[in-house]
Amino acid sequence: MRRVCLLALLLLASSVAAAPGVKKTAVTTDNGASCDISTSPAATLLLPRFEVDVDKHPSEAMNTIFSVINTSRSPQIARITIWTDQGYPALWFNVFLTGYDVQPISLYDVLVSGLVPETGTRAAVGPKSAPNDANPKLISTEGCLQGNVALPPALMADIRSMLTTGVAKGKECKVGTAHDKAVGYVTVDLVNSCSLLSPLDITYYSQLLLFDNVLTGDYELINPDKNLGNYAGGNPFVHLKAIPEGGTAQSAASPLPYTFYDRYTPTGARRIDRRQPLPSVFAARFIQGGTTAFSTDYVIWREGTVSATQDCAAASNASVPVTSVVRFDEDENPTLNAPAVSQSMPLTSSLSTTSSFFPPLVGLGVSGWMFLNLDNRLAGQEKSPYSTSRPSQNWVLVSMRAEGRYGVAYDATAMANGCTPTQAVAKTPGGPQ
Amino acid sequence: MRKALLLLLLATPLLAAVPPAAKVNAVTENNASCDIGQYPAATLLLPHFEVDINSQATKALNTIFTVINTSRTPQMARVTLWTDLGYPGTWFNMFLSGYDAQTISLYEILARGRYPLTSVNTASGSASIQNLQNPYFVQDEMCNTSGGMAGPMMLQRLQKIFTTGERDEANCRVGTSHKNAVGYVTIDVINSCAITSPLDPSYWTETLLFDNVLTGEYERINPESTLGNYAGGNPLVHIRAVPEGGAAGSDPGTALPYTFYDRYTPAGARKFDRRQPLPSTFSARFIEGGRTGFQTNYVMWRETLTAGTKSECDYALNAKMPVARAQIVRFDEHENALALAADAFAPASSSVPTTSSMLPPMASADNGGWLWISLDNGASKRELNPYSTRRPSQNWMIVQMYSEGRYGVDFDASWLANGCTATPPAAP
Repeated sequence: MRRVCLLALLLLASSVAAAPGVKKTAVTTDNGASCDISTSPAATLLLPRFEVDVDKHPSEAMNTIFSVINTSRSPQIARITIWTDQGYPALWFNVFLTGYDVQPISLYDVLVSGLVPETGTRAAVGPKSAPNDANPKLISTEGCLQGNVALPPALMADIRSMLTTGVAKGKECKVGTAHDKAVGYVTVDLVNSCSLLSPLDITYYSQLLLFDNVLTGDYELINPDKNLGNYAGGNPFVHLKAIPEGGTAQSAASPLPYTFYDRYTPTGARRIDRRQPLPSVFAARFIQGGTTAFSTDYVIWREGTVSATQDCAAASNASVPVTSVVRFDEDENPTLNAPAVSQSMPLTSSLSTTSSFFPPLVGLGVSGWMFLNLDNRLAGQEKSPYSTSRPSQNWVLVSMRAEGRYGVAYDATAMANGCTPTQAVAKTPGGPQ
Repeated sequence: MRKALLLLLLATPLLAAVPPAAKVNAVTENNASCDIGQYPAATLLLPHFEVDINSQATKALNTIFTVINTSRTPQMARVTLWTDLGYPGTWFNMFLSGYDAQTISLYEILARGRYPLTSVNTASGSASIQNLQNPYFVQDEMCNTSGGMAGPMMLQRLQKIFTTGERDEANCRVGTSHKNAVGYVTIDVINSCAITSPLDPSYWTETLLFDNVLTGEYERINPESTLGNYAGGNPLVHIRAVPEGGAAGSDPGTALPYTFYDRYTPAGARKFDRRQPLPSTFSARFIEGGRTGFQTNYVMWRETLTAGTKSECDYALNAKMPVARAQIVRFDEHENALALAADAFAPASSSVPTTSSMLPPMASADNGGWLWISLDNGASKRELNPYSTRRPSQNWMIVQMYSEGRYGVDFDASWLANGCTATPPAAP
């Protein structure tokens, strides 16, 4: 031990001379004050991908369920929007949450039976909760007054069509890609009324959104099919905090360089939502093959490439490019896709790590990790819908399965937060450093 | 739409009563906040492991985890297995070449005595910097090989520590007693193959490094087809050095009010490790019962009361660390709230079913809801405060759900205020 210390001291001077020093940065210890995404109460929750088998009996259907919790004693209203995999809002509804309320929601029940949660201002409040009229930020509870009824079957058929075929009634362009199951993503926003204003309307962001970091939640993807599934995966939502939190839309400016809802916000007020932006570069583990037949999927959420106001905007989101993907095997051998391979995907996808989208695995190993720079490289281009020249936003989940009975899901690691400028994000391994 | 706008305009006078936005010191840089998020870090925490060391590998409950070096520079990682009373039962070093990933099966270590073998002499990948080319390494103390087999005596001793808590002192225990080996794991980025104990203050001042380069996750696998048949996985808790970088022994200061390794750091340099502290207050979902037989366990990691003491008899203090009865509130799905009648107690690492008497009972026939929990052990309010400042103790919570003997999920509970918060939110 003494020898170690002595050597350490003797060698420190010479070996560390060329070492880079401590990185000097401004530091905050406050809550709701950084660009770092964490599992702590937020003003918006993102479920990066759902999958619902709308054609099967509930006991055999793949389903996604989620819960939203109001961690405050004040009543709140949450706007739940179900988006297609090309970023078109297929359905939205409001959930009135009494103080300390929790609302579980089954997307199978919503999409197949048209059942949205029965919530309303007439619900009894718990003994610790504030009265249902005690939140001064709720400008109207009209429309939240009574329990919701089942949505009309014809409307639900249209919604299922959007989420499975991409065909929307009365629209010339497709709003989603085609797949057997209903697929898309979900956002949950804190809002100030039960208005049914579309999330494509800029006034949704300037007049409806609220900024209190009070929501938390989690989701579970369940595949009960005993032959093809037999597993569940669960994870917290992506928690997007308002920075700074509180007040009204006009009451504070955000120090964030851009925001999660950047593309949707009004001209002249592009950061009015104050929501933390998401990162662009990730590290994600994989195991594929081996004696236990492991398989890994990457669930990937991507920011859209067009603004909300453009006609047929969603179609442009069917194939969003990426910057680089590098696969490392267990011996750190890196492989990149040949430049000819087109790497693009819609706004939400679940891709097997054996897919040709990813660089191939070399050698005999069955595991390793991937470096994923998912920036769509629109920044600075004339057609960029973004308010600044910056990397696009993304999220990655790792979903592993084995032996037809094990399933786990967890977030991949972001290499830097969403406020990091393009030139400062992690460099592609093997590329120029 | 027009109606909605009209309502907004009419409601404007109401907004006069709305409190303004919070005034905070906002920062957008990386490695510059107290928020625990999933970004490469200098320390990783596996809050709880459980390994059935007596069953065959094909049937044994096991915890495996992976550590990835996200940098092109080689790194050394110190892996420490702590008992559920916070005693470092065993530790070893792992050499990680640039972009390396190492998977560790705790069954292999605790049932078979096989520590992972790593070496500076392995070939590094073509995108990685050559091994030993980390300017922070103490070159002469880089071992050619780390890991290997533990002898039968050492293995037996190891198993005893993690199942009975028994070590050298006949009348003292460094862990509680249970059939399976139980504890938690920390992984630190370090500068050498030194085998200094983490209970030695020089580990923090001479060995610990500060580069936020490690990431990793764990899987908990229960292959037993009648009682288990599920797996749960989650990222390790990523604890960053703030600020990051610099050689071992460098002390640029940190803006953090205290640090993760607060209790172990030397007097006069209590924030030397620069690691982000963990929070004390959480919200955690539960579902129990119902037609699918849902069950929920809460995994709780808790900061211990003992400082870096080598006296084995001190660790009994950590067996029953209090949770004040008013600091756990269970809400059912109708927001009915119940608290405990008496204080609860838990060790440094545990997995507790939500039906346990340690938690408030359900107030109704509902099958679900959530718990508001402050796990602060209250130690800093005592005269003999084991911590460097008066502050809440550090904790972490994971929600584990099971159903139908085939589904299992793990995910982090939501923390309600970061670890730098002097006064976390009050209980409902």
